Amino acid sequence: MITLTHYLLVSAGLFSIGIYIVLSKQNAIQVLIGVEMMLNAAILNLVAFGKFDKINNAGQTFALFAIVLAAASTAVALAIVLNVYRRHQTIDPGKINQLKD
Amino acid sequence: MIAAIPHIDLQTVSYALAAVGLPLLASIITLLLPGKTEKLSGWISTGAILSSAVLAAIVFGRVWNHGAWHLQQLWFTIGNTNIHAGVLLNNLSVFMLLLVTVIALPVHIYSTAYIKPEEQKRYFTYLSFFCFSMLALVVVDSTILLYAFWELVGFSSYLLIGFWFTRDSAVQANKKAFIMNRIGDIGLLSAVIILFAQYHTFDLVQLFGPNGLVFKSTIQNGIWMSSTGQMPQVWQYVAFAGIFLAVAAKSAQFPLHTWLPDAMEGPTSVSALIHAATMVAAGVFLLGRVYPMFNEAELNVLAMVGCFTAFLAATIALTQNDLKRILAYSTISQLGYMIMAMGINAYASSLFHLATHAFFKCLLFLCAGVIIHEIHHIKEEHQLDVDAQDINLMGGLRKKMPLTFIATLIGCLALVGLPFTSGYLSKDGILIQAFEWAEGKSIWFKIIPISIFITSGITAFYVARLILKVFFGEFKLTAMLPNVHLHIGDGSWNFRIPLILLSLCSLFPLFSFNPFSYEHAWLFEGFKPGNVFSVESVYHLAIPISVSILSLVIAWWAFAVYIKQRRLVLSPNSFLFKLSFNHWYIDAFYKQIVVRGILLLSQALYWFDRTLIDGLINVLQQVTLFLSSLAAWTDRYLVDGFLHLVTLFVKGIGAFFRGFHSGRVQYYLFSMLAAVLAVFIIKLLI
Repeated sequence: MITLTHYLLVSAGLFSIGIYIVLSKQNAIQVLIGVEMMLNAAILNLVAFGKFDKINNAGQTFALFAIVLAAASTAVALAIVLNVYRRHQTIDPGKINQLKD
Repeated sequence: MIAAIPHIDLQTVSYALAAVGLPLLASIITLLLPGKTEKLSGWISTGAILSSAVLAAIVFGRVWNHGAWHLQQLWFTIGNTNIHAGVLLNNLSVFMLLLVTVIALPVHIYSTAYIKPEEQKRYFTYLSFFCFSMLALVVVDSTILLYAFWELVGFSSYLLIGFWFTRDSAVQANKKAFIMNRIGDIGLLSAVIILFAQYHTFDLVQLFGPNGLVFKSTIQNGIWMSSTGQMPQVWQYVAFAGIFLAVAAKSAQFPLHTWLPDAMEGPTSVSALIHAATMVAAGVFLLGRVYPMFNEAELNVLAMVGCFTAFLAATIALTQNDLKRILAYSTISQLGYMIMAMGINAYASSLFHLATHAFFKCLLFLCAGVIIHEIHHIKEEHQLDVDAQDINLMGGLRKKMPLTFIATLIGCLALVGLPFTSGYLSKDGILIQAFEWAEGKSIWFKIIPISIFITSGITAFYVARLILKVFFGEFKLTAMLPNVHLHIGDGSWNFRIPLILLSLCSLFPLFSFNPFSYEHAWLFEGFKPGNVFSVESVYHLAIPISVSILSLVIAWWAFAVYIKQRRLVLSPNSFLFKLSFNHWYIDAFYKQIVVRGILLLSQALYWFDRTLIDGLINVLQQVTLFLSSLAAWTDRYLVDGFLHLVTLFVKGIGAFFRGFHSGRVQYYLFSMLAAVLAVFIIKLLI
């Protein structure tokens, strides 16, 4: 029997892996992948908790919207990465430190 | 101005003022003259003094024996005190006015030839200014103005004595004269102040006029009383001492006489003027002005000092070799006679002698000037290294300079006081009155007439010595220059006219038609107090005869000594000779004791100033420097150090926090995560 706890554990694991990727990878594309993983962990939670909602399938529907928005934001993020590469000739987030000052 | 003055009064006073002002005007004009007009300056000054003399004669004619004419105007006001300035014309001032101008006139004419043309501009500026000072001194009516012109006379004589200012001795001499006169000025100033404090006025008429304040004041129980106030008696004596000091300085009386022989460094024509009618006469004139304030004891002091000075100067004149110095000492001696005459109540005789002395002393100086002028020419022509004024180098000049010889002879006879000269009238008058004065007094008072009688004898000797050494015997310079024919003469008309003029004035007819009786001289009668009747005593016959005989005998003795070379005089090594030759060591005394004392004192004060006062300031400076360096150290290391510490701390914190701003996104995210985790952990723990 698969309970809510299993869902939550998978979601937490996915989130942790996402965080690790975001913090440790030296490639902006990989960082973006990490972000997607964290987002998907959150969407998984949304779907899992949707079972206990009074309205049926509201969680799934909301998740669909979130996935669409995530796709849009990823497109924007990729455009940013492309521009960053044009300017700095690198996409290593550790080497781009112009945010200070 | 006082109302209702008769027109003639105003005219007379303006004549007198013009007589005073003309020399000043001449002085200013000569000062402003452009260069290359040297000759002109002499004639401007001479013209001014000639006009002054004419005006003075007119004033004299109107005022003499017609009472005092006094005109004054408000000068300024301080508080309630009105100070007036004005002109006082009485017998004394018009007499002096005339005397000064008449003596100054020949001196001016003489100077136009005596002074080198290139120096004349400066010379006549000074000379005219000098005449102006003296003329103003005699006509002013207040003690303040009197004091002012008294100072100006001293100042202008300073300029004239130091006329040849490139000579060191002239500079020394004028400094000496000036300082000596300053001592007298202090005396006069204190006397003026005391008289003002007592009588509350500076007006000479109110003070000393007939029924003036001085006549009404009395001394009772040690208090000096007058209608305007009273003060302790001692102040009256202080005032007298001040006046005496002033007179002693200006009229060269002991102990302030030493400037006068040194003043010979000036041009001879200046000496003639200073010694005859202007500078030295100012002292006697001052005595005449303030005469009523003296009491019996004070007059005795005057008599004694005058008598002693006359004797002292006569003995010094015996051994001097400098032609002008002999005359200088004889001036001091004659001034002593005048002061003594004032002291023995022979007021009229004193002023009479002042007048006659002015003429014959001026004459003698001008003669000396001619001789020196000629000798100086020889000296320059032949490059000789001799003193042009040394009488030992002269001799036999009577054949070469007949006019000068006769003039000098007349002057000398007048100086000795032989009959038919003006000196006889005035000097014998003083002698007779001195004997009459001592009559009936204690034996000590006899010393004065007797010593003055002896002084007459000494005078005869040094005068005879002068004449014999200069005009008789062989001309010593011829011996030094055997092959040269020396050109010596009486000089140009500028020299001759003054000599002739003054020679005539030195004879008796100018003063009295009776050559044997001083009491019939008009000048004497003009000054004689009205109530005195002449006492026919034995002295009137005995004194003149004995003085004349004594003088002739002494002159014969001198002739024997100097011409026949008989050894009758004191040897040069004896004490008395040295005493006389070294001016009684008075100068040396002043130099050794007074001057050196003052120098030592000033050195000591200088040392005190340098060491103690400056030392104190130096110590203060060191202390201040030390304190300020201490303050600087505190400021630098404590105050600044604390601030530096604070900034260091702030900087450290800043640097620490800046370290977090790495600019890397992942790092920021990590911190965010850490912070969130930390919040959760803390939440769990609490």
